[in-house]
Amino acid sequence: MLSLLLACPLIGMLLVLALPRRAVNAIRNIALLATGAALLVALQAAGGFDPSSTAIQFREHLSWIPPLNIFYHLGIDGVSLPMVLLTALLSFLACIGSASITERQKEYYALYLLLEVGMLGTFLALDLFLFYIFWEIVLVPMYFLIGIWGGGRREYSAFKFFVYTLAGSLFMLLAILALSFNTQPHTFDLLALRETGPTLSLPLQQWVFLGFFLGFAIKVPIFPFHTWLPDAHVDAPTPASVLLAGVLLKMGGYGFFRISYPILPDAAQWFSWTMGLLGMINIVYGAFVAMAQTDFKRLVAYSSVSHMGFVLLGLASLRPEGLNGAMLQMFSHGLITGAMFLLVGVLYDRAHTRELEAFGGLGARAPVYGGFLIFFSLGSLGLPGLSGFVAEFLSLVGAFQVERLQVLTMLSVLGIVIAAAYNLKVIRQVLLGPLNTRWQSLADLDLREKLSLTPLLVLTLAVGLYPLLILRLQDGALRQLIASITGQ
Amino acid sequence: MLVVLLGAWAKRPAASVAASWVILAGAALALWTAPLQHLFFGLIVVDPFSQAFRWIALGTLAVVLLLITASREIHPSLRGEGLGLLLLIGVGLMLMAEADHLLMAYLSMELVSLSAYLLVGFLREPRSAEAALKYLLFGALSSGIMLFGMSLLFGLTGQLGFAELRAGVGGMAEPMAGALLLATALMLAGLAFKISMVPFHMWTPDAYEGAPVPVAALLSVGPKAAGLALLLRILTALEPVWPMVAPVVLALTVLTMTLGNVVALVQTNVKRLLAYSTIGQVGYLLIGVAVHTRLSVEALVLYLAAYLFMNLGAFACVVAVVNETGSESLEAFRGLSRRAPALALVMTLLLLSLAGIPPLFGFIGKFLLFGAAIEAEVEWLAVAGVINSAVALYYYVQFIRLMYFAEAAPETAGARLHPALALRVALGVCTAPTLLLGLFPGPILQLIQAGML
Repeated sequence: MLSLLLACPLIGMLLVLALPRRAVNAIRNIALLATGAALLVALQAAGGFDPSSTAIQFREHLSWIPPLNIFYHLGIDGVSLPMVLLTALLSFLACIGSASITERQKEYYALYLLLEVGMLGTFLALDLFLFYIFWEIVLVPMYFLIGIWGGGRREYSAFKFFVYTLAGSLFMLLAILALSFNTQPHTFDLLALRETGPTLSLPLQQWVFLGFFLGFAIKVPIFPFHTWLPDAHVDAPTPASVLLAGVLLKMGGYGFFRISYPILPDAAQWFSWTMGLLGMINIVYGAFVAMAQTDFKRLVAYSSVSHMGFVLLGLASLRPEGLNGAMLQMFSHGLITGAMFLLVGVLYDRAHTRELEAFGGLGARAPVYGGFLIFFSLGSLGLPGLSGFVAEFLSLVGAFQVERLQVLTMLSVLGIVIAAAYNLKVIRQVLLGPLNTRWQSLADLDLREKLSLTPLLVLTLAVGLYPLLILRLQDGALRQLIASITGQ
Repeated sequence: MLVVLLGAWAKRPAASVAASWVILAGAALALWTAPLQHLFFGLIVVDPFSQAFRWIALGTLAVVLLLITASREIHPSLRGEGLGLLLLIGVGLMLMAEADHLLMAYLSMELVSLSAYLLVGFLREPRSAEAALKYLLFGALSSGIMLFGMSLLFGLTGQLGFAELRAGVGGMAEPMAGALLLATALMLAGLAFKISMVPFHMWTPDAYEGAPVPVAALLSVGPKAAGLALLLRILTALEPVWPMVAPVVLALTVLTMTLGNVVALVQTNVKRLLAYSTIGQVGYLLIGVAVHTRLSVEALVLYLAAYLFMNLGAFACVVAVVNETGSESLEAFRGLSRRAPALALVMTLLLLSLAGIPPLFGFIGKFLLFGAAIEAEVEWLAVAGVINSAVALYYYVQFIRLMYFAEAAPETAGARLHPALALRVALGVCTAPTLLLGLFPGPILQLIQAGML
C-alpha cells in the first residue's frame, strides 16, 4: 500500500519524462492523475488506519543493503498519517494550481513529481538511511523549481535554500552515523533505535540531538536559521511556495516527533526549555517582522516562521495537549498557509505585483477572492472556529502547564495579537478602501482556482469545528511518545 | 597476468585503437581467473586488495581510451603513441597497487610518472610543454626525496620487502624513532606527490590545464587510486611507526580536503576547477587511510570505485564541450541545458554525485567514509569532511547553475551539441553505475567486504 503511494508520483514522473516536450496537455494530465492517484491511496490508507492501536501500520520491511544492515522500511502511525494526508492533498492542489507555468512544462512536472516522492517518502520511512535519502531527494527538485520557474532573485534564493538546507542535513548525517555506530547492534532502524537510543549516555544523546537539531532547525525554520526562508518563499513559483510552506517546513517539525524525541528522550528533556525559548522567539519575532512587510508574499512567509513557533512551543512542553497542539498546528498551518500562497499567486498572476500598497478595494471587484482571503486570513490569525485556533490554543495550554515555560507562553501570546494586526492589515490594504483604478478589470477567481482552494477551506473549517477529525488519529501515538520520554 | 606492453607505434590509429581494446579485453579475462599468489621473486603480491585495484586500473584505461578516441585535441596520427603510453601507465598502476617491495614500489611509480610526463606534454603547444615541464621537475624532486627516504629505511633495517620491513621496524620502534619518522616522512613525500596530497599538490592544476582533457582525466583517477593503494601498503608495512605518523597524516588529510575545496571556489577554467576538486576528493579518500580500520579501507575502495565513474564521467562531459567549442572556460557550459539537454542532465548527476548527494554512488562512498571515521572515534575528521562537503557544493552547483539557469552566449546559442559516439558510450558507462549503484550498493559492498577479509 505505502509503496503504491510512492509509486504513483514516481511512475507519473517516468511517464512525463517519456513524453515529447510539446505534448503539454498530456503532461499536465498525467501529473494531475499521478498526484490525484496518490491522494486516493493516501485516503484509502487513512480509511484503513486503526487509531486505537499505537503500533506501526501498513508496514513494509525489505532488505535493501544487507552489508550495512539497511532496510527498505516503510510504515505509518498517528504521527505520520496527518502529514502524509497533508502532503498528498497539497501536492494535488498545487498541481492544479500549476497551470500558470507556461514554459518547460516537461521538466517542471517531472521535478514536481520527484519532489512529491521525496516528501511522501520522508514521512513514510522508518529506517534512518532511507529517511535521509528521501530528505535529500527533496532538495534538488526544489532547487530547480525555484531557480528556473521562480521570480525575482530566483537563482540566489534557490542556491541559498539548497546550500543552507544541505549543510544542516550533513550534520544530521553525522548524527545518524553516530547513532548507528554507538548502539549495539549497528542498525539504522528507527523502531530498533527507539529501544537502544535511550540507553545511550546523556552527553552522547545531547551531541546526537544537536546534530539532528541543526538539520531540523534549518528546515522548520528556527531563528536564527530562518534566513533562507523569506528569499526562497518569495522567489519561488506559486505551487512551489505552497509545497515549501505547506510540507517542507513540516518535515523539520516531523523530524523531532519521529526521530529526536523517541530515540533521545533524555536529551529531549534537557533541551525543552531552549526549545520553548526558540519557539517564543519564532512566534514573536516572526510576527513583528511580518508586520513590517510591504510585500504580500514576504508577509505570508514570515507569518510561516511565526506559526511554526507554536509547533516548537508545543514540542517543548512534553505534555499531551502541547504535542497534540504542535502536531495539529503543522497540519493546520499547511492548509492555511498553503491557501494563502495560492491566493497570493492568484493576485500576482493578474496584477504582476505583490506590493500591498498597490492594491485596494479589491473586495468589491473580486468578491469570491475577497471571501477566500478573509477566511484564510482569519484562520492564520487564530480565529476560534477555524483549525488554527485549536492548534495554537492546545500548544499554549500544554506549554503553560509546565512551570518553567510559563513566562515564555505568556510572551508568545503577544505573537497572536501581532498576527491579528498583520492579517487584518492585509485585508485592509488589499480588499477594503477605495478601489485602485489600476484594477478596474481584475478578474475574479476562475473555476480551477476555486477548485484548488475549496478543499482547503472545507478542511480548515471542519478541523476547526471538529478537531477530533485529526486529533483522534494522532493522540494515541503522541501519548505513547510522551510516556516513553517522561515516563508519565 | 600482467598486461602485455604493446605500444602500437604504427601510424594507423584505428588499428592501434582496436589493438588496445583487444589487450584490455584480454587483461580483463585474465583478471577474472587470476589466483592468489606472490609473483616475480616476491616483488609483488596478488591478493584481493590488489585485484580490486587492477579492476580500477582497467576500468580507468577503458574509459580514457574512449575519451582519447573521441577527443579532437589529440591528433589521430599521434593516437598510436598516446595509446601505447596509456597502456604503459596501466601496467605501472597495477604494479603500484601490488608492490610488496620498496624497489618495485619505486619502479612502478617511476613508470607511471615518466609516461605521464610525456602524455601531459602531448599537445604541441607552449602551455602543454610548460605543464609537462612543471610536472617533470616537481615529480623528479619528490621522487628523489622518496628515494632518499627509502634508502634511509634500508639503512636502518637492511630490508626492502614489505613483510621483512614490518618485522624489522617492529624491533626498533623505540630506539630509532626519530630516524624512522624521518624516513617515513620522506617516503611519504613521493607518494604525496603522486596523489596530490598537500603540500605536494601544486603541480596538479597546471598539469591538468596544460594536458589534453583525456590525459587530465587519466591523471585524476589512475595515479590517485594506485597511489592510495601503495600508501596503504607502505603504512601497513610500517605499522609500528603508525602512532607517530598518524597525527601528520590526519592533519594533511584535513588540509588537503580544505585547500582543494576552498581554492576550487574561485576557478574559472574547467580543468583547473576539476583539478582542485580532485585534490579535495583525495582529501576525503585520505580519511580512509588516516582512520586505518577495516571499515575505512572498505570505504576507501568503494569510494574509489565511485570516484572513478564520477570523475571520468565529468571529464567526458568536458571533452564533449571542449570538442565543440574549443574553450576550456566555465563559460563554455553556459546554457548547456538547452544546447544538449541529455549531456547537461548527465553532468548534473555526476556533479551531484561528486558533491555527495543521495541517492547517488558518491553519497554511499562518503557515507561509509564518515561512518568509518565516527566508528573509529575520530569524529572531528568526519565533521571536517562534512563542512568541506558543504563548501564543495558551492562550486559544483555553480556548474549546474551555469548549465540550467544561464542563457547561452549569443555565438553558441541555438547550436545543438552532439557528442561523439565514443563519448556517449563513456558517459553511459560512467553515469549508469553512479545512479544504479547508488540505489543498490549492496552487491558491490558485499564484493569488497568479501575481498578484504
